[in-house]
Amino acid sequence: MEISPVQFLLTAQNADGGWAYAAGQGSTVEATCAVLIALRDEAGGAASEARARGLAWLRQAQHGDGGWGMSAADAESGWQTACALLALEHEGDGDGALARGANWLLGTTPPELTAQGLEETRAKLSIDGGLYGWPWRRGEASWVEPTALSMLALLTVSQNPTIQARLNMAMRYLEDRRCSEGGWNFGNPVMLGAALPPRAHPTASALLALAGIAREAIRTEDVQALRNEMDRDGGTLALAWGLLALRALGEDDAGAAGRLVGQRGPDGGWNGNPYHTAVALMALRGNL
Amino acid sequence: MATRRLSRRAFLRLAALGGIAAGGAVIERTARPVGLLNYLRWTLRGAEQATLGRPMPVGLGECTSYGGEVLDCLRELWRQARMPLVQGKRVLVKPNLIDLLDGHPVTTDPAVVAAILDLLVELGAAEIAVGDGPGFRREAEPVARSCGLAAVLAARHVPFVDLNYDDPRPVPARDGWFRGASAIWLPRHVREADFVISVPKMKTHHWAGVSLSLKNLFGILPGARYGWPKNMLHVNGLPLSILGLYALVRPRVLGVVDGIVGMEGDGPLFGTPVPHGVMAVSADPVALDLTCAQLMGFSSKEVDHLQLAEWAGLGKPGYLSILDAEFAHLQLADTRRGGETLSVEVQKTVIERLKRQYKRPPVL
Repeated sequence: MEISPVQFLLTAQNADGGWAYAAGQGSTVEATCAVLIALRDEAGGAASEARARGLAWLRQAQHGDGGWGMSAADAESGWQTACALLALEHEGDGDGALARGANWLLGTTPPELTAQGLEETRAKLSIDGGLYGWPWRRGEASWVEPTALSMLALLTVSQNPTIQARLNMAMRYLEDRRCSEGGWNFGNPVMLGAALPPRAHPTASALLALAGIAREAIRTEDVQALRNEMDRDGGTLALAWGLLALRALGEDDAGAAGRLVGQRGPDGGWNGNPYHTAVALMALRGNL
Repeated sequence: MATRRLSRRAFLRLAALGGIAAGGAVIERTARPVGLLNYLRWTLRGAEQATLGRPMPVGLGECTSYGGEVLDCLRELWRQARMPLVQGKRVLVKPNLIDLLDGHPVTTDPAVVAAILDLLVELGAAEIAVGDGPGFRREAEPVARSCGLAAVLAARHVPFVDLNYDDPRPVPARDGWFRGASAIWLPRHVREADFVISVPKMKTHHWAGVSLSLKNLFGILPGARYGWPKNMLHVNGLPLSILGLYALVRPRVLGVVDGIVGMEGDGPLFGTPVPHGVMAVSADPVALDLTCAQLMGFSSKEVDHLQLAEWAGLGKPGYLSILDAEFAHLQLADTRRGGETLSVEVQKTVIERLKRQYKRPPVL
């Protein structure tokens, strides 16, 4: 009997209620959040119960400063805070977890560069160091993926001028970090005069963010870069995230969807990885 | 009043300290962020290592292609480098899978990894895995597949581990290289391996100077904790981070350098191929990288992390054990080392013969 991706996810849930990147590993915020989102629309007692346990794990993992770390054991809040807000969207904010998480994101600004630092980044990296989004960890530089995730996360809470100002700055950051051929990589379009190519995962996350905030900022070459990189990379995350971004723009890629379906294992999951499986499930919903 | 006399050992230590202090401006500037205590501790250890430390062998040989000769070359270099016993051990092989760019020799060639795996099986290693945590790619498997490594592993039933997601847990930060950090998160296969074999491609690097067995350890830091790229390593300072990662895993790190085709110019991504035709092996990554940097035409003084490693006592120049019949008759007995080694003059001759002057990365 064929095992469904949902069944794989339910089986893969850890005893503590969270999900990991692989069987036998400790629960992580990113994997748990992806599964919670993937199971959001699943009817049925088993899925509901699993979600309830997962949400409890996630709420318990929130730190006193409002952020989340990589796992419950990780005392340092970081980029995973954005994932948590996306997972808690639609769950109500009776305990204030969403608001505290949003405040943590708003309170995360990069170190200010000196005039010399600005000039150096302009000369070596051809970027405007005065524009910023969000880092992977506080105290570090801004990068495309945590910026995009944080932008999406802040859309889950009530908007106010402070949030709008940060979103506007983040949009400018994304536009500044766009690769010369379109699309995005981790956040350095140029290195010492050489143009760095775009990559599927950051391009998809940037497009998802811009699709929710400023669709007019998206260029044809960004979408083409995504399609090219999805095809070239061919990995589960590139295909799945790419499909999610294309669908957000009202587009599709049947070939990519077919490749992604073909990567599913006999255990019902992708690569034995709950995170991969959750993102693939979200991407293929309706195609399985 | 009686004059206090210095022992010979104490005199040598002071002389070494004096020599180190005289040239230490760059070192002091680099090490300043980690504080006075660490600086002093490294200074003393470095002086001790310089005067009393035993040089480790570096197996060096010519290997001109990625064909069948790689395993034979590696087997002999492993023996000449007197590598530790791996029988019954758990071994992680860590190649460089940073990214794939058509036309640029960015990653470790799968033929070198295949030879290592075959040799480990011959030598009776109990558990073998291959892994990397690329800093620019959210998923490592596509790189492994595209460069041909996945097929090599499948044929040998060796698992591939994406070190970016491999159950990261904190380990105590050792030796003071990471400012303000009491712990660094490492993947399970790195924590649990008896040996980690760093298998870099021989490349220039536009920030670090060279990318060899020490710099290759960047891939053991998990992106799931530190992001893509692992910006923490740059914020902490590249030389400090390179040596900090080494200190976390030392002395379990062995090195095999793929210099059959190296990269010069704008490494580690956009450089151009160098058909260098060498492989090098050592149980001392510092000695290994010092040798390989020379082979690339660099002096250790041009490479901050190598100069710092030597100064801080994390290693020292090794002595060459050469896989080359042309030099076999020149091996001289050395009773202090209890074996045969080449004289310093012959070692210099060998390096000169095998050296290629790698084009430096662009500087802005």
